[in-house]
Formats: sequence, C-alpha cells, structure tokens
Amino acid sequence: MKTRYPHTYVLNVMSDDHPGIVAAVSQSVESLGGNIDACSQTVLRGYFTLIMIVSTPEPLEPQQLIDRVRAAGGASAYQVMVRTAMPSEGYAPGEPCDRFVITAFGKDQPGIVRRFSHYLAGKDINIVDLYGDRSGEEFVLIGQVEIPTHWDIRMLQADLEEMGKELGFTVKLQHENIFVATNQLRLTRAPQGSL
Amino acid sequence: MLRTDEILSTIQMLHAEHLDVRSVTLALNVEDCVAPSVDHLCRKLRQKIVSRASRLVEICQRVGAKYGIPVINKRLAISPAAALLAGHGRSAALAVAKTLDDAAAECGVDFVGGFTALVHKGITAGDEVVIQSLPDVLAQTQRVCASVNVASRRAGINMDAVHQMGHVLLRIAQATADRGGFGCAKLVIFANIPEDNPFMAGAHCGAGEPEAAVNIGVSGPGVVGSALKRRLALGDKLTLGDLAEEIKITSFRVTRVGELIGREVAKELGVAFGIVDLSLAPTPMVGDSVGEILRTLGIERIGAPGSTAAIAMLNDAVKKGGLFASSSVGGLSGAFIPVSEDAALAEAVGQGHLVLEKLEAMTSVCSVGLDMIAIPGDTPPETIAAIIADEMAIGVVNDKTTACRLIPVPGAKAGDIVNFGGLFGSTPVIEVRNPGASSAFVRFGGRIPAPVHSLKN
Repeated sequence: MKTRYPHTYVLNVMSDDHPGIVAAVSQSVESLGGNIDACSQTVLRGYFTLIMIVSTPEPLEPQQLIDRVRAAGGASAYQVMVRTAMPSEGYAPGEPCDRFVITAFGKDQPGIVRRFSHYLAGKDINIVDLYGDRSGEEFVLIGQVEIPTHWDIRMLQADLEEMGKELGFTVKLQHENIFVATNQLRLTRAPQGSL
Repeated sequence: MLRTDEILSTIQMLHAEHLDVRSVTLALNVEDCVAPSVDHLCRKLRQKIVSRASRLVEICQRVGAKYGIPVINKRLAISPAAALLAGHGRSAALAVAKTLDDAAAECGVDFVGGFTALVHKGITAGDEVVIQSLPDVLAQTQRVCASVNVASRRAGINMDAVHQMGHVLLRIAQATADRGGFGCAKLVIFANIPEDNPFMAGAHCGAGEPEAAVNIGVSGPGVVGSALKRRLALGDKLTLGDLAEEIKITSFRVTRVGELIGREVAKELGVAFGIVDLSLAPTPMVGDSVGEILRTLGIERIGAPGSTAAIAMLNDAVKKGGLFASSSVGGLSGAFIPVSEDAALAEAVGQGHLVLEKLEAMTSVCSVGLDMIAIPGDTPPETIAAIIADEMAIGVVNDKTTACRLIPVPGAKAGDIVNFGGLFGSTPVIEVRNPGASSAFVRFGGRIPAPVHSLKN
C-alpha cells in the first residue's frame, strides 16, 4: 500500500447520518498534519460508516487521532477506531479467480447470511461486496464474489440452488459480465479460465 | 464494482420478464460438399455438419448457465442448397433434405435453414430443383427450412419466380394438408434476403459469409413491453419521445446480452462471431407479443389508424438502441409481426380489427413482411403471387428486406381457426379480398425492373 507519508493508519468512524461528518473527520486528519490516501463510506438505514487510510510524516499515537475526531464530532458522539496499518496488500487469492454475483430472494428468517457465507468460505470464495435488505417479509441478499477458476460453476449453482430450496429462497449465481453488459457502457472483461 | 440497483434491474429482466437469447444459429458454408454422386454428396454433407455442429447445443447450455440466460433455440443455417443440387434431380433434393434433417437431429438442433434458391434475376438449374422439390421436402422432413429470394433492390422483382411460388405454395399446402398446410410455415419468400439472418425459417449462410459463423437472434418483446408498462406506471406525463427512449434503452440492454453470449459461444466453438440480430420476435406465450406493445403504446385495437406509426416508432427505437450496443448488428433487426406466433395479433385478426392490407402497410415500416398469415385454401395461385409481388415491391422500392410466409390452409375459409402447434401458434384464417382480380398482371411475367434509387418521394 503506497501512501503519501511513511506512517499509515486505518481510521473507522460510525455515526448516525447527517451532513458534516466527512468535513469534521477530514479536518481532524489535516490538523494532525495527515493525508487521506483512500476513503469509502456507506450509509445503511440511517447509519453512517466511514473507513479511511490516513498517512502522516511523523509517527502518531492512534489515540491522538481518535480524540481529535471525537472532539470534532462534538455532540454527535462518533464511534471512532484507529489502528496502525500493517504493511500488507490485503487478501490475494492464491489462484486465478473470476467475478460472479450471487442473488438470493425469499422470506426473511435468521441464518440466511450465515448459511450462504459458510458455504462460500468452505470453497475459498472471497466476498468482495455484500448487500442485504429486509423489505416487508422478504429478504434480498446480493454478494459479489471471486470464485477460483478450478470450481465447476454448474456444481456451485446446483449446491446454492439446493440450499436456497431448503430455505425457501430463489438463488442465482451468474457471471458478473451479464450485469456489466446490461448496465454499463464499458466493455466486459474476458472471463478467466474455462467454463 | 457493480451497483446494487444495477444488479436488481438485470435480475428483474432475467427472472421476472424472461429475457432470453432467442436463437444461436451456426451458419456453415457447405459448398465443398458438392459431388457427382448423390450418396457421396450426402455423406460429405452429414460429416461436415456433424463435425462442426455437434457441440453447439452443449456449449450453448454451458454458456447460458454461466450467465443465467437461457438460449432458447439452437439452429443451423447452411449455404444455399441450390449450389449443391445443380446437375441433380428432385430425388437428389429430397435425399439432401433428409440428410440435413438427420444431421440436425443428430446435433440436437430443432431447425436447419438454407434449403434456399436465390432467383431474383433468373432461375438456374439448381434453383429449379430446389423450388420444384419444396412440396416433397417440406412434407417429408421436420427440421428443414427453405427460402427463395425473388426480388432485390438491384434486380427488381422476378415475376416469373413470384408466379411460380404462388403455385408451389399451394402444392406445399396440399402435401401437408393433414397439418393445415404447415409445410408453408417453413418457407420464406424474400426480397433482399439478408446473408446473416439467424431467425427461422429464413436463415441461410449467404454469399460473402465466412466458412462458419455464429449469428445471434436476440428478442424480447416481453422485456420491452414490461419496461414500457413500468415507465407508464410511474405516472409521469410522458410523450411518445419518452416511450421511444425507454424502448431504445431496453433494446441496448438486450443486444448487449446477445453479443456477450454469441461471442463466447463462437469462441468455444472455434468459429467466427457473425452478427447480433436485434429483432423483436414474438412467441404465442402471453406477454411475449409485439401486438401487446402496440396496445401499451395506446393502440386499443391493433390495426386501427395509428398502428403503422406506432410500429414505425417501435422498430426505429429498437434499431437505435441495438446499434449503439453492438458494432456487429445484422440480419433482419426490426420488430416482427408474425400473426399466428403473436397471440395479440392473431386475436386482432379474429376480431376483424387487423386486415391483410393493414398488415401490408405496417410491414413497410417494420420487419419483416406478411409473416405466418393463414389464407383461404382456395385462394387462386395468381392472387397468392400478387400478394407476394406487393410485399416484394415494398422491399425493393424502400431498400429493405421484406418477406412472405403465407399458408393457404387447405379446405379452410376466412374466419376458420388453424393451429400449427408450439412456437408457430394458432390463428384465424384471414380474408383475401378481390381473389382472382390480379391474374392478368401476374401472368405477364418477366421482371419488374429495379426502381430508381434517387428522387425518393
């Protein structure tokens, strides 16, 4: 992970959503002489969460940054977590993978996410993006995943559909290119490996 | 990363609106199968087809499963059979057709097109064999589809061929009288036949095409209809321009799906990717209807004034979306109005809202012609020829493909219902007005000269 300055930290902020959170957090980082190297935010049902990679020219106690951000939040009572970033590039699959999308729809019940994620973990399939939402009695789960190319996709599809049947869910596993082709102007990526 | 709303909208198209790839057609040149002996010719033909196409169905299923898109029809199209049959007789034609039928069955495909003669300027010996054998071929084979090109923008209309086809259609209908004249449903008579059309019954591997290519027919009247209904349900004040935009966007998405599947099937088969034909091809299934789209566009009774304008808009919007989606658009690429295959159109004929003349008018602005229209079995051959000539004139003068797939149903009169089964659907027999009143015109024969292609008013 190449950052602007040599000392790198991961900053995580959670709060109820309202205007001004990013402004407060970024000002705190700047006041300590830091640089924001990467950031991403998500808002889920009124709750805001932010993850940032921050680098500084001089070493910093993580607690310093936590205190600065909390102070900037004032009455909003941000939950803040900071840790020193390890010199790691994150998870890298050990073999070529292809991107697929799992969608599951059905009547909401506890255990849906656990069942599907356990199955995927057992097959070394990495979840790169996850979305789930309960609407009325229905639950929809969408996972973007990286599947090692040695797996037979039709076997995975059959397993997931079978699991879906047990839960009363409709489950589909489809290559991401179908979603790219129908929604985006960019060219689809050549699929990896064989079918 | 994909957005959740993108994934959800595609899932809606695939699973709720049944988006599919209608046809993957492997076009194959078979000219190198020519041989002096019929047995040798048939052996070469079978071997070539089976060796090139035996994996087609399995590959389509695998690719379809990977993307979660069903490939409904897997088909073959060969180069015109007339080239194989020069110097042979009608019995050879039947032997070749039966070989095609068996080879198609062996590959697991439901139709093989290309029993074709191109006679827009004149009829060769091979063409004559093809045309004269059509009643036997279409009655005695299941999967073989035929086409005859009788007119072109550069040659005009071969009225001798048109007249002959009037008689041949009646003979085919008689040969398949036990099935309501069904043999005629497997024959398309064209003006400006496209070389790369993947849709049956008119598919063939035309002049200038590669040795083998995968051509894709995407469809999706159901998807377009649903998109329009969804847009209208939002309750905004919409103009026809807004609705055309909605059709265009949907057509873009459908075409991109077709190209994605087609390129991967072609790669797996080791052949060239040809074209995506972005036609709206209805099926008798409820909701998969071009007629229903016209109703959604506000034409309460299909055939009422406004029907031609509405289908012109639909046809144009489909092309615009598709052309932006793919640089390999070809084939027919328009909205089809095959009467028996479209439940709403067949119903409109039954209720007397849609008549032959209005259908003809609509085909001047859409694809592909007077398609799957049942006419009374006692329609005189010259009148059938004259209907064909009218449709060919629309194609030749307007520089577009037009076609006729007419079924003179033996023993049936206007209003009788005929059922062809499966994807061919059922329809009331349409009234043909003024039968016999154009015989003298047709009997002149010869060629209607090619039209002027400037001063277009």
